[in-house]
Amino acid sequence: MKDLQCLQSTALKQNRVFAPAQTNPLKSMKINWLQLSFGLVFVVLTGFMAALIGGLFVYGKGDFLAVLRNPEFRFALLFTLWTSVTATLLAALIAIPAGYVLSRQRFPGKALIETLMDIPIVLPPLVSGVALLILLGPVLGEVLTRFSLDVVFSARGVVVAQCFIATPFAIRAFKQAFDSIDPRLEKVARTLGFSQGMVFLKVTLPLAKGCILSGLTMTWARALGEFGATAILAGITRMKTETLSVAIFLNMSIGDIQFAMSVSMIMLFLALLLMSLFKFFTSSEVSQ
Amino acid sequence: MSRVLLEVADLRVKAGGFLLRDINFEMMGDEYLVILGPTGSGKTVLLESLAGLRDIAGGRVCLNGKDITHEPPENRYLGFAYQDGLLYNFLSVRENVLFGARARGMAGDPGVIRRMEQLVESMGISHLLDRSPKNLSGGERQRVSLARAILTRPEVLLLDEPLSALDPQTRHAMQLLLKEIHSAEGLGIIHVTHDFSETLQLGTRVIIMNNGRMEQVGHPKEVFFYPATEFSAKFIGMENIIRGIIRKDNQGQLWFVLENGDLNFGPLSEGSFGTGQLPQTDEPAILLVRAGNIRLEHGDPPVTAVNCWEAVIRNVFFDRTHVDVYCDGKGLWRTSLSFFEWENLGLGEGDRVRLSVRPQDIHLISGEGHCDAEAMPSKGFKKYVF
Repeated sequence: MKDLQCLQSTALKQNRVFAPAQTNPLKSMKINWLQLSFGLVFVVLTGFMAALIGGLFVYGKGDFLAVLRNPEFRFALLFTLWTSVTATLLAALIAIPAGYVLSRQRFPGKALIETLMDIPIVLPPLVSGVALLILLGPVLGEVLTRFSLDVVFSARGVVVAQCFIATPFAIRAFKQAFDSIDPRLEKVARTLGFSQGMVFLKVTLPLAKGCILSGLTMTWARALGEFGATAILAGITRMKTETLSVAIFLNMSIGDIQFAMSVSMIMLFLALLLMSLFKFFTSSEVSQ
Repeated sequence: MSRVLLEVADLRVKAGGFLLRDINFEMMGDEYLVILGPTGSGKTVLLESLAGLRDIAGGRVCLNGKDITHEPPENRYLGFAYQDGLLYNFLSVRENVLFGARARGMAGDPGVIRRMEQLVESMGISHLLDRSPKNLSGGERQRVSLARAILTRPEVLLLDEPLSALDPQTRHAMQLLLKEIHSAEGLGIIHVTHDFSETLQLGTRVIIMNNGRMEQVGHPKEVFFYPATEFSAKFIGMENIIRGIIRKDNQGQLWFVLENGDLNFGPLSEGSFGTGQLPQTDEPAILLVRAGNIRLEHGDPPVTAVNCWEAVIRNVFFDRTHVDVYCDGKGLWRTSLSFFEWENLGLGEGDRVRLSVRPQDIHLISGEGHCDAEAMPSKGFKKYVF
């Protein structure tokens, strides 16, 4: 028993002697002010986005199912889907060769051409709409009418406006996709017996597939949400050139907030879906 | 007698601001030709031009006597492999190997499948056939790339730095494999590299490239001992490059005299000069001596001795197989000895020694300007047989 007490006493002494000095953890903690301030920005930003989306849900949840059954909504949804998909496919048809040429070729005036192609990105959509209206109305309108291809104030106008706005995004994305491919992979394929066209189909496109799909997703997203140029070129006509964006605008302007909110929620879901697709394609490209 | 497989005449290629010019050579059917040069010398541009991957501004390329100068790459039937394998990650290894056969519509041919199986077996990659190239090592990728290039039996295999991205052990294994492919497949190989040791180990002939032009053509060992230009000498690592001038003595004999005038080498003969022609008196020249050809001994040089001089050991560097000794005496000289020889001499830094070189080991090149490829010793060096 005595021995035990002696041991305990020695242990206590040792503990007193050798234990590290008790210090205030807050004092010893070094604060990285840079990380802290940057972190704060992220917290505020995340909170803002959550509040934005949450607000839409809270106000838009009302009679959501009734809106889904509304013929105007159904028209706008289907119209938006087919016009945006058509515009995206047209943009891809233009952007794949354009992106490839800009990526692989060097020619005089290349920088100027690239700048011209980027103009719809920086130009206000309303201005793009006015420019398209002038070109496809007074300038080329008669020719287009002769071939029964009227664009102004028609569904075709919606596709043209969406395509015009979305194509520069596609060109940029595809150019980057082709830039990321080692040209020597194409050269090896040529020596193995493939012609230039076959190399593009059998090597270049499969290699760029992930980037092209992610670029297409972003292009579609851009076409889906297009409003300004569409409104000017195709007009804002209920059940005729009414895309989802136009539907929100029309119903907000007549005070049908519930309809506008529900459509906004649908567009939000679509945006989230497209972003997920984009991230999926981007990550699959990275893992290759 | 082997036939001429590839003939290149006055080839001229523009690649951006770079100009490849005056390329002239013939390649025999069984040759292993190495194109050697530093980065930016035009080696890869030359190789890609032969493959049809670059627009040719002038000259002619003939394969088996047929002019292929402006044939597209797919019609040339030449194999090509780059340094990092460059496999298609969206295909399996099997599909990669068969990619060339697929291009020519022969991927399903039983003969081609049999050939592929034999090839991958001999190259030790048969166990990789169903794997993705993403998971292969550098050596495995390179083997697959070689199998893909030679599957359709090209007559010439073009290799762009095939060993430079590999670790030393894999590189050695790949060198053996390349030798095997060269002899077993009976094809001509053109191998681009910046590594002279690869040239010595693999090449039957070498072209040294510099700034878009051919600097020298010859047998690798010939180039090793007798570089034709100062550039070649420096690039292949000639240890002693000394500037001087040619002088004639009273008896009419030619001597190489150091720039400071107090050390003579000679008497010179036709064999002393790379071009096989005796130089003119007072002509500037460059003396080239391999470190292993300078003899290092105890003691002072005899008064009447020629090609012999006094020096002091400044630095000694031990390598894995030999000792490099830097001596200071009328210039800085590098000699090379085996460990055994060095230990027997019992010398150290600061000791006075006698250096000497045999007249037959003296090699001189012109000390003026650029040396033309046409005047290279591949034609003039008849006396050196290895």
